[in-house]
Amino acid sequence: MNTYYAANLLVYAGVDIIACLALNLQFGVSGIVNFSFIVFQAVGAYTAAVLSLPPDSANGGFQIYFGGYQMPFPIPWVGGAIAGGLLAIPVGMVVLRKLRSDYQAIALLVLSIITNEVITNARPFLNGAAGLALVPPPLSDQIDPNTDAYQYLYVALTAVCVVLVFIVVNRVVNSPYGRSMRAMREREIAAMAIGKNPVQIKMTVFIVGGVIAGLSGAILVGFIQLWAPSVWLYPETIILFAAIIVGGRGNNTGAILGALLVPVGFEEATRFIPTSFGPPGLVPALQWVAIGLLIIGFLWFRPDGVRPEPRHVFEGAPVQEDG
Amino acid sequence: MTVATAPQVVAHPGRPLLTASDVHRHFEGLHAVDGVSIEVPPGRITGLIGPNGAGKSTFLAVLAGTLPATGGTIVFDGADVTRYPAFRRAREGLVRTFQLPSEFARLTVLENLLVAAPNNRGDSLFGALMGRRYWIDDERRIVRRARSLLQRFGMSGKESDYAGNMSGGQKRLIEIMRALMLEPRLLLLDEPMSGVHPKIVLEIQRYLQDLRAEGMTILMVEHELHMVERLCDSVVVMAQGKVIGSGTMASLRRQREIVDAYLVG
Repeated sequence: MNTYYAANLLVYAGVDIIACLALNLQFGVSGIVNFSFIVFQAVGAYTAAVLSLPPDSANGGFQIYFGGYQMPFPIPWVGGAIAGGLLAIPVGMVVLRKLRSDYQAIALLVLSIITNEVITNARPFLNGAAGLALVPPPLSDQIDPNTDAYQYLYVALTAVCVVLVFIVVNRVVNSPYGRSMRAMREREIAAMAIGKNPVQIKMTVFIVGGVIAGLSGAILVGFIQLWAPSVWLYPETIILFAAIIVGGRGNNTGAILGALLVPVGFEEATRFIPTSFGPPGLVPALQWVAIGLLIIGFLWFRPDGVRPEPRHVFEGAPVQEDG
Repeated sequence: MTVATAPQVVAHPGRPLLTASDVHRHFEGLHAVDGVSIEVPPGRITGLIGPNGAGKSTFLAVLAGTLPATGGTIVFDGADVTRYPAFRRAREGLVRTFQLPSEFARLTVLENLLVAAPNNRGDSLFGALMGRRYWIDDERRIVRRARSLLQRFGMSGKESDYAGNMSGGQKRLIEIMRALMLEPRLLLLDEPMSGVHPKIVLEIQRYLQDLRAEGMTILMVEHELHMVERLCDSVVVMAQGKVIGSGTMASLRRQREIVDAYLVG
């Protein structure tokens, strides 16, 4: 395994872990079925891209986009995270305040599709379907990105973000506030009747999740150096949901495990299936079928996932007879 | 406790803890609550009875804010809370339970109580991000209080079990304990005995009597008339969204129209 492949795998793993931790906070812990999650990752990526790219007149003007501020690292990453959080405010205000949870899911799915269509077709905004290319990698003015050392550096930066995000979500999930989120997930009206403000909790979770999703997009775009509507189609969100369901809803280590098993492990494993049989596109299509079967299989046979949500037993509790 | 059909409200000695005046709740053309006015005096148990479909649970939901009123005013301890959302009324001490079990199934019994406790520094994003050391003292205090409630209600041994795995009666107890964690000033109980094993019914009855002895104010929807007779200091009778009478059970049994409407047998 060469350094580039290993770095590629590790950075993708880090990005997927960060994304899954955010989605777990929203879906696993708080019960918000955010089918537009990938949009928040995308807005982070686009923001980081336009913050780090030169003006679009550079490079012969072969792509059109707004911005192009050539900001130094870490501003593009911070900007990507902030953009994810800012997007969550209007979306949350519209979707989370009045709609019932199943309608929220539908509205968010539709938002994901519409956003992708708009960005694809509105070329002057973010270069349309072709997307943004030649996004400068972070610190590329100081270290040559085409070296092993840079690959290690990028993996290290990603790892630092993974650790930071893990600490944040762990603190939230295991706090009394996390308990309020779980109560709201279980029965919103009863949570309201004991003094919880579900809209406020949902908005907070949505914004925090948006910030983390935006960061994950910023990390990814700095590494792959391009971002286009084809990489953030709505099914990408379904893969992350599959990861949460497989890993264990409501469990942060489950979310990490799910990220390693599904978007990284499962997709990497199926990549090695020979493509010489059947019509063109058969194997990628079968990958989606397999993802669907994975979700159904887990929901049917092991709905709590590989690592179910932990039961919170308090110090000094009487010994239980059952597990 | 005195009530009257809208808009008149019969005065009581001392200031009522809650006054509902001419409260309406309409669903399209259906007048589920149609001009109800009642006063709930402090430190007493007031029963709310009536046939199925009388609007009792809807009225309770309107009082608690889980359903907004279509009209009328609700004054709680001197403050007009009519426009307050449910969570704000709960924080003010107007706390309800539900007709159907409404436990947080995937939280443990103890957590069901802890989650209701106010004044926990960890119950905000800021507090959570500050870390365990920032809120652990509050948490320990609240755990002690929740455990004393669990002990009082005979459920100490169940604290680490998932609430969803409890029996119907135990879920009722969890809900009452959860409401008590908020230190309510007025407890609104919606059929706390329904679907409960007779042994636990007696326990709930005893707990409610204890709470009254401690000065708790309770407004309780209940179908079981013997229970109402034993527990309630006064009773309001509703039918077809209106109040049709009020007083003690003994006095209500003497009112022909009420007997005809509801108390037959």
